[in-house]
Order: sequence, then structure tokens, then C-alpha cells
Amino acid sequence: MNRAELGLKFKPRKQFGHPAQLQVNGHKFLKRFIYFSLANLLIMSVSKLETRLRKLFNVPRKGETFEFREGLVSQYASERKDTIQRVIAAMTVGKDVSSLFPDILKNIATHDHEQKKLVYLYLMNYAKTNPELCILAVNTFVQDTEDPNPLVRALAIRTMGCIRVDKMTDYIEIPLKRTLKDDNPYVRKTAAICVAKFFDLNSRLCVEQGFLDELMDLLDDSNQMVVANSISALIEISKSTNSNFLKIDSKILKKLLMTLNECTEWGRISILTALADYNAQEVAEVQHIIDRVSPQLQHENPAVVLSAVKVIIKQLDKVEEDQKESLLKRLSSPLVSLLSTPPEIQYVALRNIRIVLEKYPVVLARELRVFFIKYNDPLYLKLEKIDILVRLADESNGLLLLAELREYALEIEPEVINKSVNAIGQLAMKIPKVSKKAIDVLYELFISRADSLIDQLVVVLQNLLRRYPTEYLTTIITIIGDLEFDTLNTSDAIASYVWIIGEYSSEIAHLEDRLTTLMSQFQDSDPAVQSALLTTIVKINLTKPTPVTQKLLQQILNEATKEVENADVRDKAYIYWRVLSTDDVQLQKKIIMTKLPVLESTIDHFPPLLLNELVNEISNLGSVYHKPASSFIKSIDGELINTQLQSKKLEELQQLAKTEIVNNTVKAENLLDFDDNDDSPQNSSAAVPSTGNVLDELNDLFSNFSAQTPQQQTGSSMINNAIKQTGPDQPQKKSSNEDLLDLF
Amino acid sequence: MGNVFSSIFGRLWGVNKEIRILILGLDGAGKTTILYKLQMGEVVKTKPTIGFNVETLTYKNISINMWDLGGQTSIRPYWRCYYANTAAVIFVVDSTDKERIEVAKKELHMMLKEDELTESALLVFANKQDQPGALTAAEVSKALGLVDLKDRSWSIVASSAIKGEGLTEGLDWLIDVIKEEQL
Repeated sequence: MNRAELGLKFKPRKQFGHPAQLQVNGHKFLKRFIYFSLANLLIMSVSKLETRLRKLFNVPRKGETFEFREGLVSQYASERKDTIQRVIAAMTVGKDVSSLFPDILKNIATHDHEQKKLVYLYLMNYAKTNPELCILAVNTFVQDTEDPNPLVRALAIRTMGCIRVDKMTDYIEIPLKRTLKDDNPYVRKTAAICVAKFFDLNSRLCVEQGFLDELMDLLDDSNQMVVANSISALIEISKSTNSNFLKIDSKILKKLLMTLNECTEWGRISILTALADYNAQEVAEVQHIIDRVSPQLQHENPAVVLSAVKVIIKQLDKVEEDQKESLLKRLSSPLVSLLSTPPEIQYVALRNIRIVLEKYPVVLARELRVFFIKYNDPLYLKLEKIDILVRLADESNGLLLLAELREYALEIEPEVINKSVNAIGQLAMKIPKVSKKAIDVLYELFISRADSLIDQLVVVLQNLLRRYPTEYLTTIITIIGDLEFDTLNTSDAIASYVWIIGEYSSEIAHLEDRLTTLMSQFQDSDPAVQSALLTTIVKINLTKPTPVTQKLLQQILNEATKEVENADVRDKAYIYWRVLSTDDVQLQKKIIMTKLPVLESTIDHFPPLLLNELVNEISNLGSVYHKPASSFIKSIDGELINTQLQSKKLEELQQLAKTEIVNNTVKAENLLDFDDNDDSPQNSSAAVPSTGNVLDELNDLFSNFSAQTPQQQTGSSMINNAIKQTGPDQPQKKSSNEDLLDLF
Repeated sequence: MGNVFSSIFGRLWGVNKEIRILILGLDGAGKTTILYKLQMGEVVKTKPTIGFNVETLTYKNISINMWDLGGQTSIRPYWRCYYANTAAVIFVVDSTDKERIEVAKKELHMMLKEDELTESALLVFANKQDQPGALTAAEVSKALGLVDLKDRSWSIVASSAIKGEGLTEGLDWLIDVIKEEQL
């Protein structure tokens, strides 16, 4: 039976004229027949011809993309691979080739590893642009995770994890489970990281399918890389959810400590990070951890060293005080050895050392010389080193350091000079024994190169007077006495200068002239200077009034209340005016002539809470910024992980605390009842950083005097609320506030 | 340099040239089984194909790229991504699945309307003949409306992928057609 009749087959008949016919028939007929058959041929296969011709000439229709597309579906394997390479090249130079996604995808199933890698690379890059099409690759991924070649298995599961498309999560379970149990450690360690990626994409599904437990099981793996990667994955997962999935018990701890020495650098860092957070139950365990971790301090990679330092410092909290000393000694030489690394790493090390020093100042007590500046250090290292040197200073090495700082003050870079002058001041304040020598050095520096360091010098002198109000007065007054204020450039320096004149007016020659000159530029000055000048003139009028100063007083009160835009300066002027208009001279003196508390130090320290967080950040980026990571890294939701307050800058915290103290000490008595709308607390706090001196004066005033405007009251309640939110932070902030008060 | 020459000559004589054949059909029709039966000669245990399988087999000195595309409803829209440069389509029908033969017909005719497939030959496998109650090839042909197809070489073959019956017969026919048209 004919198949065609049954409806099983069909072949379009091609109608060509039969050659025999052409010969037999006559000329006319022949001609007609040729026409006919040609026409017939044309009609029958015009469409076929057209497509054939098009294929033959194959003119690119739309430029490069079209060319790529043609190449990708080519019938020749070599041409396809070549085109993929060209597409990847275009991708890496930043061209958008995402429109080729389906065509590239078709080339994923290949036994050519090179081509497979290229296609995988493309997929990772463009998966997000074609989320639906990604599932077309699933079958190949699943098959590749069963490939006999472990490299292919690992590559497949890694790429699958890198495709951040929701639909993938439905299919990743089986291959991921299989690769986690793979015979080959390379595949297992790749799969372990993949769990973290999966968790990031769909945490619910990941937990439901028990992947976290599988990771915990992998901690017992025989291969150290698998253990390290499982740890990294668990740490990552814990961090991203702010919970602890990495439950270390004594068995795991033992395993980790054993694995530590076999790992790569990265593995060591992961394990050390886990150990740092481990909450040891007993002292013996802590001792064991520290003993096992100590060898890592000798590792050549600074990151490993710092991680080990972090583990030891964190575990030390649980050690008895008397043992701490000997354990801390172990830290000093590794930390010192970090200073023989390239400058960038040194900088990181120095920033970390600073945190360590705050926590345990004794660690590097004997290592002062290591931190001396080298002539070829970059600027940022020099500044950081000076910071650390001052913190290391004690009675035994004070003189040595002073001599060294004196050298630095003769350097060329202005930043180094200023920092050194400041450091000499800090040193003098920290160690009374060397203060005499330090003042001499400062005087000598003033004589030899006043022009480059005078601004910083005046600020330092003010601080020194706050620390030693009378001891070195003669030297300091000699310097100030010789000084014309127009040689000063920064407003800080001018404000300090003005403060010194006011405080020691009886020692200063040509007082009236100086004040007149200063007064003539009052309107153009910085608010800090204006405020200092206001206080100084008021003070001088109480101590040794002359007709000139009285005239100046009238002038400054007038200008300050009427023409100055800064609310702080204006308010201060109003307050003074009101005080001065009472008849009680005793009260006036009591308020205005108050001595400031002695300033112990201008070396700034981290508040305890911040310090604790920074210890956690050792060896991380946060330690370089001296900020907790939560303040500069956004969580998955795009919001800051921690509460807003913790991430606030230190100054802001101090500011809050300061205002609170101010308000707490304010008594109910309303002496000053201004209807001044500009006096909003936000305004004043915003102006604070630039007007340090204004505020310290204000504090003096407020601590002895009572004044509260209605606006301030609302302000204080607002601040109280803010402080309630902080809860446990409060004591810390009070102490920092005291520091701050001392500072001025 | 040698590579360049070999690829140029290879092209001139049509060596290395691969013929693309798609295996399409509804889910569970037996496409993947057919593919691996043809390639390896054995019946493999299959899972629903999410995406595609592709295997190269040499048959009568022609190297064939056999593409087995997943037949699930969600993936069917993406068949069209694979149409370019296709020499032939093998459409696999589950002959026991009488309910969905209408769906298969719809999918088949929709696919054949595509511009890129006007040149391709069509081979239909009326699969699963080993199972009781399977429609015959003629019945399937009727149900799919194959007789209405003009301007296309087509054929339907009763097959059983598990037993390996009908597969080579169908492929022989297909290769003959392709040879005639392309080479």
C-alpha cells in the first residue's frame, strides 16, 4: 500500500521539464516550453530561491549584534566558540551584549571546558537581564554537577549559585545537596560557599531544606578547605541576619583549632574570626585557644596576624588579671613586625594598633622607638605614628620622645609640624616631669621658626595654661607678649590668643591697643573668635577697667547683639549684658571670672562602647575608619544594620551629652527671659564644632548660673528623649562629656 | 596557520558541518529518552528536562546536533529561541495520551508557522507503541492534521523509544531528506 495514500508521508514534487522532451519537440514549442517551465520553476520555488540566495550572500543586516547572532547559531562548532569569545570580549569592555542571551545559552551544553567557562561567565553577568530564560540552563547545570570531572562539577554549582534569579532557587536544591556530599573536596568547598549565596537569595527555603545543618556537618570534614569555607559561609549567613547560626561546641572548637595550622590564609582568617566570637566557658579553654592561636601571630600575612591578635584580645577578657600581662607580651613583637611591611599595610596596622593600645596600653610600652618616623614614610604614616607615639609616652621615655618630636617639628610638611607641636603639648600635659623641657622646646621652636608653627603653638599654649595655670606663665607670656594677632591665620589660634589675653590680662602689655585692633575686625571674624573676644573684653572690664575698655565693652555688646548673625555669640552677649546690668559686682565676678577646671589631657580616647565595637573590628575595614562597620556598610535591606545612634559620630554623641549636662545643671530660676526665636537648640548644636570656645564659656556660665529659655526647654526634653533611647550608653556619654568639658 | 587552512577546507567540503535537529513535543512524550537511545543506544532514566539537552551524533557520515528541548508548558514559549538554522524537527507524540493530542496539534501547527522553520523537514514519532491502547501512526497523523501540511517534507513513524523500534527507520528517512535538500 502506498504510504502517501495512508497519510504517512508527503514530499512536494519538484517540477522540472524533462530533457528528452526538449530535444524531440520543435523550435517554437521548445521556446514556449522553456518559458513555461522557467515560469513554473520560478513560481514553485521562488520562496526557496530567495531564502537560499539570502543565505548564500549572507549580508549582515544589523551590524555587530546580528553578526554575533549568526555566529552563535553557526553550523560549525569552531565558529560558535570563536563568536562566544568575541562576545565575551565585547562584554568585558563594557558593551551591552545582553540581547544575545538565548543564543549564548544554547551553547552551554558542550564538552569543551573552555567554551563552558565562557558561557558560564556570560550567564553570571547577564542572568539578571533575562531572569525567565535562565531556567533553560538548569538542565545543563544539573547534568554538569554529575560530570565525571570535579572541576566541571564545582564550576557548575558555583555558577548556579552566582545566578541571582529567584527562579533558580526551585532547582538548586538537588544539585547543591549532591555537591555538598561530593567525593571531591574541591567540589564540597565550592558548594559550601554556594549555600551562603543561596541563603542570601532565599533564606526561608535554604533553612527549610536543611542546608544550614549540612554546613554544620561539613565542619567535621576531613579537608581543611571545606571546613574553612563552611565556617566562612556560616559567618556570612549569621552576619547577614544578625543571628548566630554558627554554634561552636567544644568538639567543633577542637576541630577548628586543629585545622587552623593546615589552612590557607583565607581559611585561617575565617576560623580566627569564628574563634574571636566564641564564648569560652572556662579559663582553661581560653588558655588552650590562646596557646593554639599564638603561632598564627608569626604568620607572614598581616591579615592573619591581626585576626589572631583579635582572637587573643577578645579571649583575654575572660582571663584573670595577673595572667593577662604575660599573655599580652606575646602580642608586642607581632605587632611591631607589622611595621616592616609596605606603607599601606603599615597604615592599617597602625590604625589597629591604636585600638589595641586603647584597650591594653601596656602592650607596646617598651616599643617606642619602632614608631619613630622614617624619613621616607608617606605623610599619612607620619601623622599616624605621631598619634601613637604620644599614647606610648611615659615617664621613662618622655625625654627621648620629646627630642624626637622636636626633630619632627623641624620637618617641611606643615601637617607634620602642626601635629608634632600638638604632640609636644600633649606630652607636656601627660607627663609633668617633662613639661618644663617641653615648654623650653616650644619656646626654642618659636624663636627659630615661628612662621610655620605659630598657629598650632598658640593653641597648644592655651591648653598648657589650662593644665599648668601658673608654672610656665612667664615663658608663655613672653611668647604671647611678642605676638601680634595679625600674624595668626587660623581662627582657632586667634581665639586661643584672645582667651590668653583675657585670662592673663594683668601680664600683657599694650592691652588696650591689642583689644582695639581686634575689635576693629570684630565683624569679619569667625564666631569662635567673636565669642572669645566678647568674653575677654567682659573679663577685662571686671579686672582692670579703663575708659578705653569700657568703650570697647559698650561697642562689642552693641555689635554682638545687633549685627552678629551667629545665635550663640548674640545670646552670649545678651546674657553678659543682663548680668552686667545688675548691681551685684560679686555675682558678676563669680559668674564671669570662674576658673575653668584643669585640663588633664587633649589626647582623645574612644568611649568604652565604641572601643568594644572597634575591638570587634580589628583586622576589618572598620578598624581603619575607626568606626563600627554598621555605620558604613548597608545591610541587604538597604538600611543601616545597627540603630541610628550607634552609628552616629562621636562628636554628635558628645554633643548630645553635653547639652544634656547643660540642661541638667540649669536651675529653675529664669533670670533671662528673652523672646528670641532664633535661639533654637538645633541651631546652637550645629554651630558647635567650629565654636569650641564659645561653648566652653557657655558651660562655665551655665554651671554657675541659671538660665533657660522656653526653646531650650523643649530642646532639652527632646535631647532627654534621645538619651533615653540610648539606654546603657548614658554613663559612657557622661564620662565623655566630662572629658570634653576638661578639654576646654 | 594549520588550523585556519583546515577550517577553510573543512568548510569548502562541508566537513565538520553540523546538522541541527530539534526534538520537540509535549512533556512526558519521551523526547529525552529518544535522544539518548539514539546517541548511546541505551534507555536512561530521565527527569523532566528544565531547559534542554544537546548531543552530537554521527549518522551516515553526517554529524548531527540533536537538541532535546523541555516540553513543559512553562518552557514551550522558549522553543522559538532554538529555531534558527534548524534542518529538521522531530516531533514526539505520546500515542497513549489521547486527551492532550489536541494540545500537541496546536503546538505543532503553531511551531510550523514560524518563518525560520519553513525549510525544515518534519518527522513525527508516534511514540510509546509498546504500551496498550496506543493510537496507530495513521490515527495520530489524522489527529495532528498532518495531511493538511503543504510545502513540507514530512513523515510519521510509529515508535517505541524503550524498545528502540522505529527510531532508526525515522532517522533514515530524515537524513535522506536533509541530504537531498541541503547537500
